[in-house]
Formats: sequence, C-alpha cells, structure tokens
Amino acid sequence: MASANKPINTDVPEKDVFALHFLQSLSNLRRQNTFNSPEKTNDRVKKIKKVAYVSMARAAGGTNRLWSRALLRRAAKENNKVVRFPRRKKRVTCLRRRRSNRRDPVEEEEAERLRNLVPGGGGMEISKLMEETAHYIKCLSMQVKVMQCLVDGLAPK
Amino acid sequence: MDLSGGFGARSGGGVPFREVTALESLHLGGGDEFRRMVPPENAGGFTALLELPPTQAVELLHSSSSSSPSQPTLHSLGTLAFPSNSVLMERAARFSVIATEQHNQNGNVSGETTTTSSVPSNERIKTEPAETETCDQAAVEEQNNRCGGKRKDFDKKVKSSTKKKNKSSEESEKLPYVHVRARRGQATDSHSLAERARREKINARMKLLQELVPGCDKIQGTALVLDEIINHVQSLQRQVEMLSMRLASVNPRIDFNLDTILASENGSLMDGNFNGTAMQLAWPHQVMETEQSYHHRQLQQPPPQQWPFDGLNQPVWGREEDQDLGNDHNSLMVGAANLHPNQVKMEL
Repeated sequence: MASANKPINTDVPEKDVFALHFLQSLSNLRRQNTFNSPEKTNDRVKKIKKVAYVSMARAAGGTNRLWSRALLRRAAKENNKVVRFPRRKKRVTCLRRRRSNRRDPVEEEEAERLRNLVPGGGGMEISKLMEETAHYIKCLSMQVKVMQCLVDGLAPK
Repeated sequence: MDLSGGFGARSGGGVPFREVTALESLHLGGGDEFRRMVPPENAGGFTALLELPPTQAVELLHSSSSSSPSQPTLHSLGTLAFPSNSVLMERAARFSVIATEQHNQNGNVSGETTTTSSVPSNERIKTEPAETETCDQAAVEEQNNRCGGKRKDFDKKVKSSTKKKNKSSEESEKLPYVHVRARRGQATDSHSLAERARREKINARMKLLQELVPGCDKIQGTALVLDEIINHVQSLQRQVEMLSMRLASVNPRIDFNLDTILASENGSLMDGNFNGTAMQLAWPHQVMETEQSYHHRQLQQPPPQQWPFDGLNQPVWGREEDQDLGNDHNSLMVGAANLHPNQVKMEL
C-alpha cells in the first residue's frame, strides 16, 4: 500500500560549509612533504580530486546520505583505513520490494548508468536512486562553485 | 478530509467493512483533473450496468462510447429492475452528490438530493458526466469486492480507457496522506496498488530532478530526461576534475601575491589567527611575512567597520559574479572563519 508522502528532503548546506571542509583538507594536504614537487602532477591532481570529493561528502551530508557514506567508505578503503559508521535506525529493505517491481527495460538501462555515476548507487531502487541523485547534483554544483571561487582567487588572470 | 469522513459516516450502517474501506480509499484531488479525465463514453451509465451480464454490459458500454451522453440507451436501462441494487444506487448517488458538491463542476449540483428510487438516480447520475467518475469507481470497487471473478474480463476490456488517467495519481503526492485510487477497470489487488504507488514516487522524484537540471522541463519522456540528468552529472564531475587540475597547477606557485588579498580585506575577522594560519599552511613559502604583515597591519589599523557576520555572508557570496578577485578567496576564508572558528583553530 502507498506510504505517506513526506516532502522529499534535498537540503544542502551553504557554501561556507563546503568551503570550510575543502580548505581544511587542502591545508592538510599541503602539509604533506611530497606535495609540492613539480613532477608527479597527476598524483597531485588525483589527490586533490579525492580530497575534493571527500570534503564534499563530509560537508554535504556527513553520513546521513547514502552516496556520501559510499564515497567515504571508498576513500577510506583506498587508504586502507576502516571507516565506522553509526548504525542507522532504519534498515534499507529494498530487496524485499524488488520482487514485485515492474522492470521497465528503458528505465533500467538509464538507472544502471546513474548507478555507475552516483556513488553508492549499486543497491538502490530507482526512487531512492533518484533522490540521491538530486542531492548529489546539488552538492556537486556547490562544490564546483567553491572550487571555482578558490581557483579564481588564487590565480587571477 | 471530510470527504472520506462523509463516506464513513453515511455508509456506516449495514455495510460490509470491505466496501467502506474501498470507498474511503477514493480520493478526489483537484477538480481539474476530473474534468480532464472525463472519458468520451458516458460514465454515468456505468452504475446501471452493474447487474447486467458482462457481455451485454460491454455491448452497452461500447455503444455508449460511440455516442455522446447516451440518454436513450440508459433510459432503456432505467426500465430494467434493479431490486438488489437500490442500496447501491442510493449510495452511488450520494457519493456523486458529495463529489459534485466538492468540485462544483456542474450547474445542476445544487438540485441534487439523495434519491429514493433507483431509476431516477440513474438518470441524475448520468446527467453529470464529470463527477460520475467517483461513483463509477465506487461501484466498480464494490462490484469487484463482491464478485471479483465476474468482473475480471470486463475489466480488461475497459482497461484501455483508463490508461490515460494515470496522470491523475500525481496529485495525491501533495497531500499529507495518500489515498490510492483504484482506476476504472483496473484490478485492485495489492500488487498493482503498490506498483502504482511506486510509479507515483518515481514520477515525483523525476519532477524534482527536472527542476534541478537546467533545460529539462522541455523534454518529454522519462528516458530523455534521464539522459539529460546523466549528462549533467557527468559534466559536473568533469568540472570538478578540471578545477582540481587547475588547483594542483596553481598551488606551488611562488610568486603568488598575498599582499593584495590582505590589503583588500575589509571584514572583521572573528579569528584573525585562523586566517593567518590557514594562509600560512596553504602557502608555506610565504609563511613568516604573511603572518607578520597581517598582524602588523591589524595592530596598526583596526578594521574600519565591524560588519555583522550574517550580513557579511550575503554580500560575500553575491559578489562572486563580479569576480572581485582579491575578495573572493578572502571572503571564502572569512565565511569559513565565521562558521567554526574554534573548531578550525583546534584542527589547524
């Protein structure tokens, strides 16, 4: 039976929060000795990119959003760290519902592509996936704005 | 919603519980939806078709669909006796009254009162084509609940006419509760209900995504919209990558001029140390003179104005468009400083 529809919550914190997290992680990155070498630009790029995503995940939802959890977990795995998330009250029972869901071939194809793009989208049902995508898009655009600001401030042309 | 309350109250006596719940599960959203959804055939005659054997009913239905309000057909039906259906007719008539009262669709609403005989109720029902949707569904639902097997093939035949009503389900999203309405001619088993609810959810979220992604409202069809969304996400991710590349190339620059930034700083900082320290960490080659010059300047010239912090944030972010280059980065720091000065101090 249909559940009660609460308004879909896709609030994203202000740019300040994003900026704060990003700058913090950037400064941490700066502290590393190997960072400033002129060669190995690719590594630097990769590190900055990873830092950007991680800071975005932390700023945007912390561990409340599925995609941020997946992102943080993935990043931690790369560093061989173990991330511990506080246990959520609700268990995601998507498996049970899948049995009765109608599979639309066109939609499923698109959903597959979305799942590959949005972190953590692997086990999600389409409605949840779309919610996460909306939040992800908002956070991504916020992060892009922050980074653009930073770059413009640092390298005025 | 008083409508469902009215349903419950009126059909309280001597009605099996199933029917009550089925009726209560009707929900009437905006009146416009109904008007748009009026099927070409006269829905009013549906209640009269209830007791007929399926084939005859179908025949009647099809004949009525080909012609506009088929008064002559129904008049002939009206002469048929529906001894066991009087209660049903009354209830259906009452519901139609309620529906029309709520939606104010037709002029002859006010004249409607509950009927005593089944025959006049038929006629009155059929003269209000718009609202009979509800009594159809009431009738259908009741009928389905009563003799489910008999209706199934009938349902299939009229299923095509109900496909276009799928859109009406979206209105229920706006309400605090959801009444899932069984569409005309569709089965009311739990699977299709759940599936319908799921469809509604997906459509609602699709609308949300359409608002987010620029240029998506014009596109029709879910597949194309999804394509657009995917493209947007990909472009955003590529932008992040591009900007991180630029940042990586900018960072080790030695000739970066910090003085211009500090000079253009015009907000009071809650924590001057933070700014100095952060800059120091970000550009280690400029460590000492940055901090010294900054403190020096601050000691000598106290900031001319104390800007309120929340007021600061608005113009700060608003100025981005002008690309006030010196200010941008600084205001970022300021904004960040305002937020969690203590926390940042500890971390740095």
